Amino acid sequence: MYPIISLSVTGLLTLFLGFSENKKIVFPASIAFLLIALATAFIDWNAPGFYFNDMLQVNNTSIVFWAILIISAILIMGFSEGFERFEFAQPAEYFAIVQFSLVGAIMMVSFKNLIMLFLGIEILSVAMYVLTGADKRNIRGNEAALKYFLMGAFATGILLFGMAMFYGATGTFNIGSGVFIGGDNSFFLWIGCTFMLIGMLFKVAAAPFHLWTPDVYEGAPTIFTAYMSTIVKTAGFVALFKVLSTTFSGLQDFWWIMIAVLVTLSLMIGNIGAVSQNSFKRLMAYSSISHAGFMLLALLGDHENALGSIMFYSVVYTLATISAFGVLMVVSKERIEKGRVYEQNDLFKGLAQNNGFLATVLIIAMLSLAGIPLTGGFWGKFFVFRDAASSGLFWVIIMAVLMSAIAIYYYFKPVLLSMSKKTSLESITINPLAKFIFAITTFGTIVLGIFPWILRSLF
Amino acid sequence: MENQLPAMPDVIAQVPLNNYVLLASILFIIGIAGVLIRRNAIIMLMSIELMLNAVNLLLVAFSSYRSDPNGQIFVFFIMAVAAAEVAVGLAIIVMIYRNIRSIDISLLDKLRG
Amino acid sequence: MSLIALIPLFPLIGFLINGLGYKKIPKAIVAPVGIGAALLSFITTVLVYFQFKADGQTIIQPLFDWITVGGLNISFAFQIDQLSIIMLFIITGVGTLIHLYSKGYMSHDEGYGKFFAYLNLFLFSMLLLVMGANYLIMFIGWEGVGLCSYLLIGFWNKRSDFGDAARKAFIMNRVGDLGFLIGIFLIIRQFGTLEYLSVFEQAQGLEMGNISIMFITFCLFIGAMGKSAQIPLFTWLPDAMAGPTPVSALIHAATMVTSGIYMVVRSNVLYTLSPDTLEFIAWIGTLTALLAASIALFQNDIKKVLAYSTVSQLGYMFIGLGVMAYTSGFFHVITHAFFKALLFLGAGSVIHAMSDEQDISKMGGLWSKIKITAATFLIGTIAISGLPPFAGFFSKDEILAHVFEHNKAMWALAMVGSFMTAFYMFRLFFLTFTGKFRGTKEQEDHLHESPSSMTIPLIVLAGLSIVGGFIGFPEIFHLPHALADFLSPLYDGSRAVNPEFGLVHLSHSTEWMLMGFSVLLAAVALGVAWFIYVKKETQPADPSQLGGIKKVLADKYYLDEAYQIAFVKPVEKASQFFYSTIDKKAIDRVVEGTGDLTSLLNRLSTKLQTGSTGFYILVMSIAVAAILILNMGTEIADQFFSIFNAQTK
Repeated sequence: MYPIISLSVTGLLTLFLGFSENKKIVFPASIAFLLIALATAFIDWNAPGFYFNDMLQVNNTSIVFWAILIISAILIMGFSEGFERFEFAQPAEYFAIVQFSLVGAIMMVSFKNLIMLFLGIEILSVAMYVLTGADKRNIRGNEAALKYFLMGAFATGILLFGMAMFYGATGTFNIGSGVFIGGDNSFFLWIGCTFMLIGMLFKVAAAPFHLWTPDVYEGAPTIFTAYMSTIVKTAGFVALFKVLSTTFSGLQDFWWIMIAVLVTLSLMIGNIGAVSQNSFKRLMAYSSISHAGFMLLALLGDHENALGSIMFYSVVYTLATISAFGVLMVVSKERIEKGRVYEQNDLFKGLAQNNGFLATVLIIAMLSLAGIPLTGGFWGKFFVFRDAASSGLFWVIIMAVLMSAIAIYYYFKPVLLSMSKKTSLESITINPLAKFIFAITTFGTIVLGIFPWILRSLF
Repeated sequence: MENQLPAMPDVIAQVPLNNYVLLASILFIIGIAGVLIRRNAIIMLMSIELMLNAVNLLLVAFSSYRSDPNGQIFVFFIMAVAAAEVAVGLAIIVMIYRNIRSIDISLLDKLRG
Repeated sequence: MSLIALIPLFPLIGFLINGLGYKKIPKAIVAPVGIGAALLSFITTVLVYFQFKADGQTIIQPLFDWITVGGLNISFAFQIDQLSIIMLFIITGVGTLIHLYSKGYMSHDEGYGKFFAYLNLFLFSMLLLVMGANYLIMFIGWEGVGLCSYLLIGFWNKRSDFGDAARKAFIMNRVGDLGFLIGIFLIIRQFGTLEYLSVFEQAQGLEMGNISIMFITFCLFIGAMGKSAQIPLFTWLPDAMAGPTPVSALIHAATMVTSGIYMVVRSNVLYTLSPDTLEFIAWIGTLTALLAASIALFQNDIKKVLAYSTVSQLGYMFIGLGVMAYTSGFFHVITHAFFKALLFLGAGSVIHAMSDEQDISKMGGLWSKIKITAATFLIGTIAISGLPPFAGFFSKDEILAHVFEHNKAMWALAMVGSFMTAFYMFRLFFLTFTGKFRGTKEQEDHLHESPSSMTIPLIVLAGLSIVGGFIGFPEIFHLPHALADFLSPLYDGSRAVNPEFGLVHLSHSTEWMLMGFSVLLAAVALGVAWFIYVKKETQPADPSQLGGIKKVLADKYYLDEAYQIAFVKPVEKASQFFYSTIDKKAIDRVVEGTGDLTSLLNRLSTKLQTGSTGFYILVMSIAVAAILILNMGTEIADQFFSIFNAQTK
């Protein structure tokens, strides 16, 4: 609960810092604020309880997720050092929005009441609409922002309709007790369940509600693409899990087959769509759709393991994604074409020769995303498959394994390009902070690949 | 939230709950249709608002029939959030208008594939 | 962290320092780091021994939970008991001496740092092998030593035939490893765990001759065949002599090749449960001992003779295990580690003195030139030949006594092998150290005793080869059999499943007679060798001029050629067929087809991505509608009809 308060206050403070003459202070201050929020998260450690009229539930599980979200935000924001150089940027405002959006994400992982879920989703989404359009002069950014906004608002409408129907059926917004089909209100409940799930599946980019993902990922500034694909996704999946494992656990027969079909669709569309992409960000967008499929797979298993699997998967996915987008940010700023940074795959041509460190980071990130053993990504997939196998969903697992094979093809495209002899780049400058972040993400990926249990055994 | 609403006035009860639900659903579908048919970003925004208002109506109806204040409280939240959303939406639309002098979304299809 | 975990940690650190700093670390530091790592490990072993001795209870030292899949939980844990502590002493003790020896032996080599790094890595893997508390850790060590063996055989990788030898060793070991791995899977299937303690505890509840235990033990033994060079997987070991001599001493004589024996002794409960496997092991051991000894008779390469002798001695160890005399087999592991390491190091010292000459037909009369080497080599020769009171006598005699009790024919064959052993060893000794020098003039001028870093290990090992046997006096001497008493708790399980276990039926007079007979045989072999090679000064013949049976022996029964025809050629043929027909014509088609299908689907799915927001929302709405209709089309219809019906009424 404390990080919500802390981030709200520090977000406002950050806005005021924007008035100061010295713009350089905003970045370190924001990182410090995020660290403070991280520290306050642990005040409630081992002190589970309910807050805000029982609308928010805090326990160690939710604190772990808070920490994951805040640390991811810190790692991503670390790449924005020197942001004030860009003319489009109003650093104070973006850092403030990032902090506010984290409030939303935190609410999404610890809600106990659908009102809180709605507020969390909206706080996070509205913030993301703004951040997507952060580059005001860039028409592609504008387009992405408008698409994201219109479709997001539409999905919100559907989500709300579902919540209203759920309320009509049960008379409560609390998700504490399970609900069951039967009686007069079962029709409302069915509609409510379906619409709520659709609204949330949109946020995590599961097919067929994924269509916004590639366009928005490509158009948004890279740093916010990274933010979107890690924090929004993690929060979204935890929220989905919370809803499915509590209130809707009695309706399992009803949503189970729907999710299974969506998993298959997401895996197919994500992996097959990524094959022909030349833009690295689009490739990552399709990959993110397929990873949504994998994480949904965990929801189909028994609930004992699912949360741990989702946690592990989101951590390894987050680490690899931050590495990948980080390398893209660092490298692409060296090559400006038509006034825009160049973000195609062949940007990485000859990276290994040019800068071995960045190439290593990129390669390990790609291996992890592809799920090659000795990286965290392998265990992420392993746990998810294990969960799914426990519920006997073998046809989906076979599909998933086939699609992982396809995934290797497109994840290896940047890897192979980076190995090639010819290079189109001159020397690349990396600031020390970025180097530090790369070290953390890459090391984390490897450590989790060798000792997955240090994280997986948390819960 | 423990306090109950006073008993439902008879005038509301004269119309069955199903009719409210039907009305709200029809409004909601009109909203969806509006989003689908129109190409003007502002009108699309308005249609989305219509969807949200349909939800509000639904919530209020359920709330009254159940004599439970929670639904009406939620409506306030939705109104507040919708206002924020509209503000952001309009800002995005203005930003686009500055760049391309139009708010027709069919012009915005450069990102694809 | 506890002391126990430090034992393998030191070599690992040594490996990391020398391995990562290869070419950057000055030569003066490399050897102290490498030797220091081994020595610290040895000291820690001594400390752990005292800790263990205090109450004599098996110590399990868990480090972390490693793999948890379903109901199977494998922890990363070390186990210290009687067996592993002795292995630890051998590995770290002999290992330290050989590290020290390498300092002198490898001093002129450019891959100095690399060599010490590999040696340390080998120690680490070997320690994992013997310290692990479950079969999986043993398997990791098992693979690790195989890898190090491969790296060290091919250490001088500029010569392609050395590389071939390394590959041969690796591939033959892989064949064995497959068996080992299947054995591990079978253990999981049978017992649901891999931890030694619980496997053996569960095994005690089983019947003798249980069929699945037979499969498990048999598969594990296939692994041992590869690692410990038994028929039919033994031909790699003589070729492995391509590696530097300290490697031959450490890996291919004292430690790695005995891991098969370690494994069988470790799993003695399982093997006791399966008499059929034991019988098989005993016969494999007998045949290997005999075959290898006979090949060794006419080899002219000093290291090859020792290599075949190693194979043959390993055969004796397996005979011991096969007749359920686990202690005797293991006793021979210990004494063999001493005298064979000594012999190899001595051979290395000879080679060093002879300017890298390995052919004994070019040697002779070295006794006066390199006295320490010669004297220690003689001690080793006597020890391996089984003359009392040196180490080999006690351990070999104990095995032979048990074999006599078990099967007279097997005993006779073993005695023949034993006679040959004494003969070829003394042949080797006489040809090398007595008579006239047969090498070139330059070699003669260059003859010199090795530096002290090489002779000290020789002297220490010679001392151990003399007294090493005293840890296990035969019963008839009325002295305590210290080793048997120490190891006794290991066999509680075997005693439980087989009441016959460990009972000796031999009368004392028979035992005296057996002992006398084997000593006599060794003495006769010594005499024959002396008569041929000293009295008559017979020169070792060039293998190409031998005839008849001698030629067959010198050419190793043409086994390499036979393997070439029986396995290598057919595999090559098959692989050619699979490549040109199956792969090119069938699999490639399928693969390309998959690619085409994928890109077709890709075009379809990216067509969805038109870039138009309106279209996206339309797709979403259609998806929502589809989900609603598919999930509950009938309910929706019912509901609407009921509402309209209510209206019309």
